[in-house]
Amino acid sequence: MTQVKSTPVPDATAELSLLVDVGSAWTKASVIGRARGRWRIAGSLAQPTGWGDVELFAGLASRLAGSVDPRLTDRLVDLIATAPRIACHTPRRAGRLGLAAVSLELSAAAARRVAESAGWVISEVATTDDGRSLADRLGALQAADVDAWLIAGGFDGGQSDQALEMAGLVAAARIGSSAPVIWAGSDMLVDAVEALFEPGAVRRAPNPRPSPEVEHPAPLRQALEELLRQLVEPGEVRRLAPVAFRRGVSEVARATRRRIVGVDLGARYASWVHAESDGASESRVYAGGGLASSSLVTAGGPARLARSLPLAIDELAVADALQNARARPATIPQTDDELAICQAAARQLLAHGVASDGFVQGVDLLIGAGRVLAAAPRPAQAFQMLLDGVRPLGITGLAIDAAGALSPLGSLDDEEIGEGLGALRDDLLTPLGSSVVCRGGRPGAPAMRVTLRRTGWPDIGPIEVRTGQLVALPLGRGQQADLEIELEPGVSLGTPRRTRRVHAAVHGGVVGLMLDARGVPLHLPRRSDDRRAMLSSWRDVLTREPAMPTSLVTSA
Amino acid sequence: MSHPYAVHRVPIPRGAEVRTRVGATVLPADLLAVHRRPVTPVRVPLAATLRKAAAEVSACLLLRPGARLETGDAIARTPEGREARSPIAGVLLGIAASDGTAIVAPLGPEEPVVGHIRGRVRSIEPGAVTVEVAGAALRGVGGIGDAVHGELVVAVRDAGEELRAGAIDVGATGKILVGGSRASAETLTRARAMGVAGIVLGGVLDKELRDFETIQHRRREVGGQLDSFGVLLVEGFGKVGIDPQLFAWFRAHAGRTASLFGAERLIYVYDAEPPPPRRMLPRVGERVVAHRRPFQGRAGVVVAELEDLHAPASGIPTRMALVRFEDGRLAPVPIANLEATIVRDGSTAG
Repeated sequence: MTQVKSTPVPDATAELSLLVDVGSAWTKASVIGRARGRWRIAGSLAQPTGWGDVELFAGLASRLAGSVDPRLTDRLVDLIATAPRIACHTPRRAGRLGLAAVSLELSAAAARRVAESAGWVISEVATTDDGRSLADRLGALQAADVDAWLIAGGFDGGQSDQALEMAGLVAAARIGSSAPVIWAGSDMLVDAVEALFEPGAVRRAPNPRPSPEVEHPAPLRQALEELLRQLVEPGEVRRLAPVAFRRGVSEVARATRRRIVGVDLGARYASWVHAESDGASESRVYAGGGLASSSLVTAGGPARLARSLPLAIDELAVADALQNARARPATIPQTDDELAICQAAARQLLAHGVASDGFVQGVDLLIGAGRVLAAAPRPAQAFQMLLDGVRPLGITGLAIDAAGALSPLGSLDDEEIGEGLGALRDDLLTPLGSSVVCRGGRPGAPAMRVTLRRTGWPDIGPIEVRTGQLVALPLGRGQQADLEIELEPGVSLGTPRRTRRVHAAVHGGVVGLMLDARGVPLHLPRRSDDRRAMLSSWRDVLTREPAMPTSLVTSA
Repeated sequence: MSHPYAVHRVPIPRGAEVRTRVGATVLPADLLAVHRRPVTPVRVPLAATLRKAAAEVSACLLLRPGARLETGDAIARTPEGREARSPIAGVLLGIAASDGTAIVAPLGPEEPVVGHIRGRVRSIEPGAVTVEVAGAALRGVGGIGDAVHGELVVAVRDAGEELRAGAIDVGATGKILVGGSRASAETLTRARAMGVAGIVLGGVLDKELRDFETIQHRRREVGGQLDSFGVLLVEGFGKVGIDPQLFAWFRAHAGRTASLFGAERLIYVYDAEPPPPRRMLPRVGERVVAHRRPFQGRAGVVVAELEDLHAPASGIPTRMALVRFEDGRLAPVPIANLEATIVRDGSTAG
């Protein structure tokens, strides 16, 4: 009799990791797993941060349930819960800065821009020309609840009594506290300012406005970023989402040899990254620049936003919707109107960010991150927010970080970040398509003629795009095309040389290719009916399925 | 009856003199500190007295800005022993290097820093006094104005009723009124004029709150009105009633003393049980309050959670629950827009 030996079935295992970005309102998480030797994003979700980890693991497990080995289904929650976790988080609170400067328009404005782009919130500003008496200024500074002080004023090489007066005011207001002071004024006054405070209290930073004509913000921004990290959340700096996002975007730029602008628009924070093709990057972090930003609801804000809507929604409803979104940022727009308001707010915040830092031009890729962009119901809506908000002049690819994986991967250490991003390169970004944005030209007159060439397909064009017009062409994900662009006199793509004929390769995406001659920045008609008609027509162009103009097919 | 402790931080202007101590019991009207604001500064010439060039004066300073001076106190001294003294009492604000003068600001009269809070002083640190509050804390979603305290009075019949200007009379002076779903800018203005300390509302139109703030700002500019007044919103912006459960809690504690911190979106009610708590992520069978339109402020019961993701009218795919609202309507609502309301025995059943 032959004895049959049963072969033990090996336990099924899975090689998983968890990418988590814990935002102030929403947590974004992705499970990555190795399948056939390659790491892929197996599933992702976003949930209100207050729902907690247990719900997160259960949610991810349910997303994966249909696609994993059935032997793992029962253990999936445990596998996810115990998987190595690569995580980053929004800073738990913003640093509060008291700012004293000589002139509201010059030194204070320059210092404020730098401080806000370094992630600080300005609690109080005092300047010699703010219309208050010296005593009132001192009273306001004494009452300000701050983590640190920034004093600016006087041009380099010059003496300024007013700058010294403001430094004295801060010294008087700060008495009894040990909050650090940054002096970023005239280099001639360093010793005099240091003498006003106890030894070691003052840190020197280069003047952001060394002369009336020059603004030199980078060194002060760096000093303020460093101070913020020391004071507010010392420790694992690269796990802070704005830092991790910058590192992630820089690595993508380095690996793909492209100039990239990335923007992460969250509930509280807005982070902008400008990365060069060698990976060198600079970032701006606005602690109050997200969708819960108070700037949206300050006087005139709701009215401005109502004017940018394609729907007739009155200012009162806009104001209430914005305030409710601020009060409960982990809720979601339930109606069409609320979604339109939310997306218009995102466009406005993006436009504001661009206005603070100058136009975005000559960029190869624009990456959008954050729930409002990544969770737009239709990719065309994300495309429109980026295109209308940022107005990237020239020929630019657009993509979104739909899974919210870029920041967690950016929190990996230096040795691992390239490998991590490289392993997930196919899943990391969702390409939306490309845009060709020009400026200049006479309204209604031709701005550019574009011919589209794809290997194995007939040429399309030339397509005439008139100033003020937006034209959508289909160019699917994975497709590539060569463009020949002929610009009319007075029309520019933002290139340094004023060339009339431009050749460029563009990549497709889930939305397609947009030829955009609406100018930079966008201008809207004053009459409300005309304005809404124009906004609706743009929305329709972007959200309708684009079609090739068959009459313009020129060769096989 | 035991009451939970909340910890409240009362900001104290730097330079103020604290008049309480750790462990002391404080009442809402008690003085926690006194502050003497600097008034118009005077320039004290130092260079001539010291017989120094203006630019050399700062090297002779004996004090740093912020130092308190009494009349006759030395401000600067040369190595040769020549001294410059302050002709007035005040605070040294700095030195003008161009003319070698010291800027000294005399101090104004003592101004009280009232905490508007009842409890025990836990700690005193630079810039703040922390108080353990023997009362129930309720955090709202919006608010404006100053710290105030007063007797809690329910001024409407039901949670969905609008607080009208006509409902406010002299009897409301010094009280904190609990309104219902809304108050117009006119009502808020009248309330303030009648000496009402504060108002708690379910919601208010943002525009009306802004209009009210603008009116107050202009009045303050012309020196008309300086009384403290605070507004707290507990549900949302727009016409939103207070959830009946929460309204019942306010009603149950009418007559108690409360402290309202408008800008901090916070109210404490003393000697009160905690307000009915709320929890995110409600489950089937639980009573909920919906946020965001079109169901903002409405209460109901979750009857089912929909399988898979579904999209509401906005088109955003999300987890949805089927809610039977109290008006009988049945509607799918994103779970992220719902909060479970928990009754005092810990249950959430609807």
